[in-house]
Amino acid sequence: MHDAVLLAAALICTVIGMGWLALAMDAHWNQVRATRRSPRTVIILRVLGAAALVASLVLCLLADTATMAVLVWMMLLAVAALTVALVLSRRPRMLAPLIAAIPQSS
Amino acid sequence: MFANFRLSFAWLHTWFGLVLGFVLMVAFFFGSLSVFDREIDRWALPQTRIEAQPMPSFDKILASRFTTITEPDPEEREAASKRVTQPLPEELTPAQWGAYTTHRDPVLGMYVGFAVPNSTLPDDYAYGEITIDPRDGHVLPRDQLALGSAFFYPMHFSLHITWYDIGYWIVALSAMAMLAAIGSGVVMHRKIFREFFTFRPGKKLLRSTLDLHNLTGVVALPFHFLWALSGLIIFAGIYFPVLDRMMQPLVEAHEREEAAHTGLDTHPSGKPGTLASVDAMMTAARERWASRGVPGEIGFLFVNHVGNSNTYVSIYRDSTDRVATAEGLHFEGSTGRVLFEDPPAGPIETVNAFLTGMHLQQFRHWTLRWLIFVGGILSSICIATGFIFFVEKRKHAHAAEGFGGSRWVDALAVTTVTGMVVATCFVLVMNRVLPEDLAHRDTWEKSSFWLAWLATLVHATWRSTAVLQARMSNAWAEQSWAIALLGALAVVLNAVTTGDHLGRTLAAGYWPVAGVDLMLLAAACVAAIAARKLQARAAEVVSVSPEVPDYA
Repeated sequence: MHDAVLLAAALICTVIGMGWLALAMDAHWNQVRATRRSPRTVIILRVLGAAALVASLVLCLLADTATMAVLVWMMLLAVAALTVALVLSRRPRMLAPLIAAIPQSS
Repeated sequence: MFANFRLSFAWLHTWFGLVLGFVLMVAFFFGSLSVFDREIDRWALPQTRIEAQPMPSFDKILASRFTTITEPDPEEREAASKRVTQPLPEELTPAQWGAYTTHRDPVLGMYVGFAVPNSTLPDDYAYGEITIDPRDGHVLPRDQLALGSAFFYPMHFSLHITWYDIGYWIVALSAMAMLAAIGSGVVMHRKIFREFFTFRPGKKLLRSTLDLHNLTGVVALPFHFLWALSGLIIFAGIYFPVLDRMMQPLVEAHEREEAAHTGLDTHPSGKPGTLASVDAMMTAARERWASRGVPGEIGFLFVNHVGNSNTYVSIYRDSTDRVATAEGLHFEGSTGRVLFEDPPAGPIETVNAFLTGMHLQQFRHWTLRWLIFVGGILSSICIATGFIFFVEKRKHAHAAEGFGGSRWVDALAVTTVTGMVVATCFVLVMNRVLPEDLAHRDTWEKSSFWLAWLATLVHATWRSTAVLQARMSNAWAEQSWAIALLGALAVVLNAVTTGDHLGRTLAAGYWPVAGVDLMLLAAACVAAIAARKLQARAAEVVSVSPEVPDYA
């Protein structure tokens, strides 16, 4: 049960991380918010995204032995990237909470 | 020959992908099903719908079962008779006993290896196999087909083409092409990072198909690469038989050297010997694993040089806790003392064991198992969208020229994408419809699969004439309806013929059967939605502009 919680947290982290990485790109940012953003925001989003992916790797390593954890993480990345791509193609506004903390005119 | 580097890679990607993509589709789709082969077996063999069982007592059950296997299976004998320089004697001597199970198996596979005298291969054996119920040792009927592990699983690496093992070679060639397609796909992709998250289903079919092809290809790129590669590595011994062909004297010298070190003789002594209690050895193995804090169920039990004075027993644990399969523990047969324990693997062996173990998935990790299944489905989608893109890109030009190229590609694409799923659902339906005690039931089931698949080819070819006029073939929608109907029918038939309906299996938490049923229903729903959308799209194109191509 403990492992299941860790893996669920890892999945959530990868989805959020991939979401931030997507929003660091102009095309996807524009799908979610009309106002422009500063270059600094782009860097923040990239760092946040990378950090979330690293966090998910750590969670995977806590749940399983290293060889197994690496495989789980690799596949979670694929599933998360696909999920974010599908959300962006149908309901991009669902990603808005990920940048709610970033002011409108940054 | 080509204007630039990218174009030459595009040519490679297009044509190798097209020709071998049909094989890859089979390998990846049935490979995905093989992730759940034991669960599909339970669905197809209702008498084995029990909880997984540990390795039973050797002394009480296995020993007497091994002695009932007195000859190799007919096809094994037939194959062995072609490898010998002298005629094969009627009576063959049993040389090896093996029994294997996993944490997902309620049944136990057992085999006897019979020494093949005068063979052109070193250490050649012909095998006789049985499957038993480990609770009481009774033998399961041979003509009951384990659809998952004995049909879908071998399909994905051999295509069931046994003639000169040519199926293995075709699949290997396709796996090589897959590696080339991955590399060339990355080179020809113009915006691999900028379009990493891009899927635009609202755009023209050509564009949205390419989006989906790129998306499924790129996000699961490590999966596509590693699974094609590890598949090749697993059968490297078939493709490059250097060890038992080119380097045989060296290998034999090495074996002698190793045997002197391990005490595990490579050849039988020829002198009669006795076998001590194997149960005691199994207990000793379990105690050793328990003292190290690793899970300790026995996965594979192997007795070599049966009946000889130098017989030994090798015991491997079911490696539920790690990707690589576990090291073995070897006992002297006559005394039961430990002769040798495999040392931890070296660096090359570790990599090999990891890649092999990753592909074979003996571990107990349901999340990872599902993720690998999803990876296989993503590969299948990537290949399927490749076909659709090929046809969409060319069908107008081909129609204008009166050339049938894209029509045939479309027919083959329908056959290998929807047709394969139709045939799979059909064999599940036949599995539930054929009488339980029908003689050669396995042959009936296999034949029904091939006939259904052939029927989808005929249907796809007939309907693909639409592509000649640059329209969409109705076969896509019609075969999707067939999947929806057959998938749902299989679930209903399972409930009617076995009583194990979803209400019961879900309440009991019996996931092997509940899982297969749920996946069938999910596939049926997806197929029905796809069929409706395909029909809507076909109607739309015709009513709006019967003559004008939708993509110029």
